[in-house]
Amino acid sequence: MKKIIYAILSTNQSLTEISDLVNGMKGIMDANLYVLSFNDISIAVSDFTPSKDITNRELAIDFAGVIEALSQQVTLLPVRFGTFIKTDEIVHQLLVNHYDSFLRNLQKVENKCEFGLKVLCDSETFSTKISAQAAAVEVQPREYFSTDTVHTNYLLEKIKINKLEDSLFQYVDQLIEDISQYLTQINPDSKYKKMVTNSILLDAVFLVKKNKKDEFIQAISTFKQQHDDLQFLLTGSWPPYSFVDIVIE
Amino acid sequence: MEENVINQSKDITVIEILDRVLNKGVVITGDIVISVAEIDLIYVGLKLLVTSVETMQEKRLTIVKPDQEKK
Repeated sequence: MKKIIYAILSTNQSLTEISDLVNGMKGIMDANLYVLSFNDISIAVSDFTPSKDITNRELAIDFAGVIEALSQQVTLLPVRFGTFIKTDEIVHQLLVNHYDSFLRNLQKVENKCEFGLKVLCDSETFSTKISAQAAAVEVQPREYFSTDTVHTNYLLEKIKINKLEDSLFQYVDQLIEDISQYLTQINPDSKYKKMVTNSILLDAVFLVKKNKKDEFIQAISTFKQQHDDLQFLLTGSWPPYSFVDIVIE
Repeated sequence: MEENVINQSKDITVIEILDRVLNKGVVITGDIVISVAEIDLIYVGLKLLVTSVETMQEKRLTIVKPDQEKK
């Protein structure tokens, strides 16, 4: 019997209160959830018998459900699915050894939640639009070559493609700047990934104070209305998965 | 308000959940972790990544349409 870890919990309450909180809660595969504590933080775990069934998609979703349920009650750091440890003693030692790091991260996400925002486009339509803008700055051969050679056309084409890519990145940079402007009052932490694919211009996550959730949603909604040519995929609120910065090796 | 702005597609929600539980959060590796079907887990992660991109491309014309929020 192994232990599967769900989350690191901030537990300002007494151990009894935390135990009461998880008492009756089920982990994956219907195992009872329980906590191991050190000072004011705890780890939520359940027993688990390892098998190849762990690759089951439903199990991963159930795992997320446990984290979601816990996050409704306490501030927590989600642990990546598939983390198994042999004994309670080793789990407890983990908590003791990394207490400072856990506490620092818990303080960072306290009373905050995560939203995901993907900005998508119709890649063909969008490329045409950007091409049209880039064409305004047409490549002039004499800027680059003093004489025509057999390679000139090929090289000019390459330069043009580079200019298009630059234009696209400039567009996305501007988009990020505009979104940031819209969110100034809410002041969330944020992370952006640019040009994930030709269709996904932006993959962003935001860490928002819980009491500013509605304000955040409204700001994104307003921003979206002003960009009819783009698709906005807003999801949340989530536990702060993307704002945990802990790798224990 | 959230009903109108936040995506309600079950497929996309599942993809977002799986992306998070498989790829984000506290990472614990090394000797203290018992390896369980590690290769399969990585495979599931990669498969989800590919699927998520494909699914989002399929869904992109049906999600968060401007007229949805005018309801």
